[in-house]
Amino acid sequence: MYRRSLFFFPSSPHTHRRKMGAAMFPLEGEEEEEERRSRFSINDNVDLLVEILGRLDGRSLGVAACVCRLWSSVCRRDSVWEALCNRHVAGGGGGPGTRSVVAALGGYRRLYRLCVGPALDRLAGWRGRAEWASAATAAHLSLSLSLSVSLLSIDCYERLDGPQASLLFLCKPVNVS
Amino acid sequence: MKREHQESGGGVGGYPAAEMMLSGKGKMTGMEEEHDGGVDELLAALGYKVRSSDMADVALKLEQLEMAMGSSAAQDDAFLSHLASDTVHYNPSDLSTWLESMLSELNAPPPPLPSAPIPKHQSNQLDLPPPPPVPAAAAPASILDPAECSTVTTVDLPTPRRQSEYDLKPIPSAATAAPGRVVYGPEATVELNARDRKRMRTSSSSSSSSRGGIGVGVVRGMGSSMPSATEASSMAAGPAAGALPVVVVDSQEAGIRLVHTLMACAEAVQQENLKAADALVKQISVLATSQGGAMRKVAGYFAEALARRIYRVHPQQDCALDSAFSDILQMHFYESCPYLKFAHFTANQAILEAFAGCRRVHVIDFGMRQGMQWPALMQALALRPGGPPSFRLTGIGPPQPDNTDALQQVGWKLAQFADTIHVDFQYRGYVANSLADLEPCMLGADAAGGCSSGGDEEPEAVAVNSVLELHRLLARPGALEKVLGTVRAVRPRIVTAVEQEANHNAGSFLERFTEALHYYSTMFDSLEGGCTATGAAAAAEVATGGGQQDRVMSEVYLGRQICNVVACEGAERTERHETLGQWRGRMTRAGFEPVHLGSNAFKQASMLLALFAGGDGYRVEEKDGCLTLGWHTRPLIATSAWRVAAAGDALSAAR
Repeated sequence: MYRRSLFFFPSSPHTHRRKMGAAMFPLEGEEEEEERRSRFSINDNVDLLVEILGRLDGRSLGVAACVCRLWSSVCRRDSVWEALCNRHVAGGGGGPGTRSVVAALGGYRRLYRLCVGPALDRLAGWRGRAEWASAATAAHLSLSLSLSVSLLSIDCYERLDGPQASLLFLCKPVNVS
Repeated sequence: MKREHQESGGGVGGYPAAEMMLSGKGKMTGMEEEHDGGVDELLAALGYKVRSSDMADVALKLEQLEMAMGSSAAQDDAFLSHLASDTVHYNPSDLSTWLESMLSELNAPPPPLPSAPIPKHQSNQLDLPPPPPVPAAAAPASILDPAECSTVTTVDLPTPRRQSEYDLKPIPSAATAAPGRVVYGPEATVELNARDRKRMRTSSSSSSSSRGGIGVGVVRGMGSSMPSATEASSMAAGPAAGALPVVVVDSQEAGIRLVHTLMACAEAVQQENLKAADALVKQISVLATSQGGAMRKVAGYFAEALARRIYRVHPQQDCALDSAFSDILQMHFYESCPYLKFAHFTANQAILEAFAGCRRVHVIDFGMRQGMQWPALMQALALRPGGPPSFRLTGIGPPQPDNTDALQQVGWKLAQFADTIHVDFQYRGYVANSLADLEPCMLGADAAGGCSSGGDEEPEAVAVNSVLELHRLLARPGALEKVLGTVRAVRPRIVTAVEQEANHNAGSFLERFTEALHYYSTMFDSLEGGCTATGAAAAAEVATGGGQQDRVMSEVYLGRQICNVVACEGAERTERHETLGQWRGRMTRAGFEPVHLGSNAFKQASMLLALFAGGDGYRVEEKDGCLTLGWHTRPLIATSAWRVAAAGDALSAAR
């Protein structure tokens, strides 16, 4: 059928639209269908792609990143991961200040990989388990952005190699005595 | 009772034959037996089945046995070794039968063949082939000074199933009357010789314990009770010679016996009965090998600490080297379990709330180490609405061995981090042997034209933070008061203190020992439970190898604390943990009032644990405004926050 890699991504709304389109107009000829399909490609509209992929969950984003180079580059954009993180943390995301801090600490993708993702997996695991039913706190546990960024900051700090890692840092006077 | 545990005794792990050397022991084979009606209940609780109607008869036989053994004092060794090694006795829980067999041995020269009746029970040990020769246990022969020791520890025997796995030969038993017990050789022999000379009081819980049919761990002097008399009268063979049978131990009973032995040893140490304590320490080591996991390690560390105390071997006093090493160990402890992370997060939360709205903040850290607490605080300050304040950090640390300036390096690293997130950062490090050497002006106290640097724009808000540091000050009288006075002089907005939640400072040595045993057992349990699931951040990156290493180093870290609590005294004993209530009293007396940690901190802590903890064993609890983290029902570490009491409130009780 289609050579497009879209085919391999079943949850993409575009595929659904196509299927729906075929179902809605069953009497149209094949040629016209081909023509319509060939006029539109999601890969031509990167912004649209960003919007769509920004609604995926973490694992699906990872899968999407394996589709093609364009998709991979989109999936590496921090804004996609930022949208994902902000969806899942309590209280929504922070403002631009948060963005700069998180970017400095390693980015939202790293934040998701290290903190938000595993936390969500764990929470999902518990909610399915009966043992946690008794612990009332479990039901109210929700990951806060500040906590996850704190963890990220610790990770960032641990990765610092020491004063000799980056000489640029020494350009500014620092009061350490 | 006995039967149940023997059925479940197969839980012992695969101990290689070489480990379970017991010299020349009689080994009673495990047995199954019908529980007769009319059995004396007290003895049944201890594992002996004696019909109530037979009690008098059994008592008489026991006396006879005791007399017979005592009378052959001259040829004790030879005779006892006969009894021990050449005869086979079965089912010591059926006391009367067993006693008859013993007495018949006594009255007639030991025949070459087993003459004891074999009650009908599973005794398939006879069918097992002889074991491969195993090296004799060297320990027992040299353990005791015969004149002094009079304690016997018994160890349980395997179930038949286990024996078949290990190809054990039925060892002619001179074992104790209790089923499945093994008596350590020379000690028991000595016991008989010495029983008339010395009666050792052992911890009362052991001999009269009726928990679950567990028998006596340590024997009292003869004649105190039947079980003990029976045990004492059952002697072990003489010093080991030749091939020794392997004994595999029922770990559950051995575990309880291990605890009893630990307590008995501590009591002996408290009473300055060092010979007995010495013997018991060695028994602990052997018993500990029968356990697995956390209990074994805890027992090992406590045994080592007791040995140090007994032999007056002091840990190396090189404080500087110690501090560098303990920093490394604490890093691993930080990684492997959530206690320190919890402490840092809750303290940071309190500091953050106290710093709300301040443009200049100053944090004084009493135990700088690697500065793991501060990136999170700096990040939280950076993220707060209104932007980050200018952040000043003063770190206190001990002198380093090779004159490297560890504090300086940590400061650089933190400065680099602060630069990344665009927080204005200043750092100062102080090297001090003890916190009591600090003076307020060093910390920047700006009292009426003090030595502080920036009194111009806005007074800075000060926070003092101490994670596991204050308890060290209790080793020297007056030090804590001086430090708290210094803290007051700095006029902090908040003082956060994190301490172990245990009382390792008051009472006698035995009480301290007991308390420490419970505390560190729980700690080690939590390490075991948590080792599989490491933190969310670490899970992606740390291979099981790294997690294992963290756990092992954490155990060493805790082991050093155990050593200090048990083996040291006076100024050397720096691990003087106290409970939250005790700290509350001290802080209140020094003029501080508590600040309640809010529900936000509680929620953050719960979430943190949910992420990082392995297993569901960790519990965050709130206790009078302070947060504690514990394993199951036992709180292990507590975070509390304080501020200087207002002038009129200096004497008011904590809210």
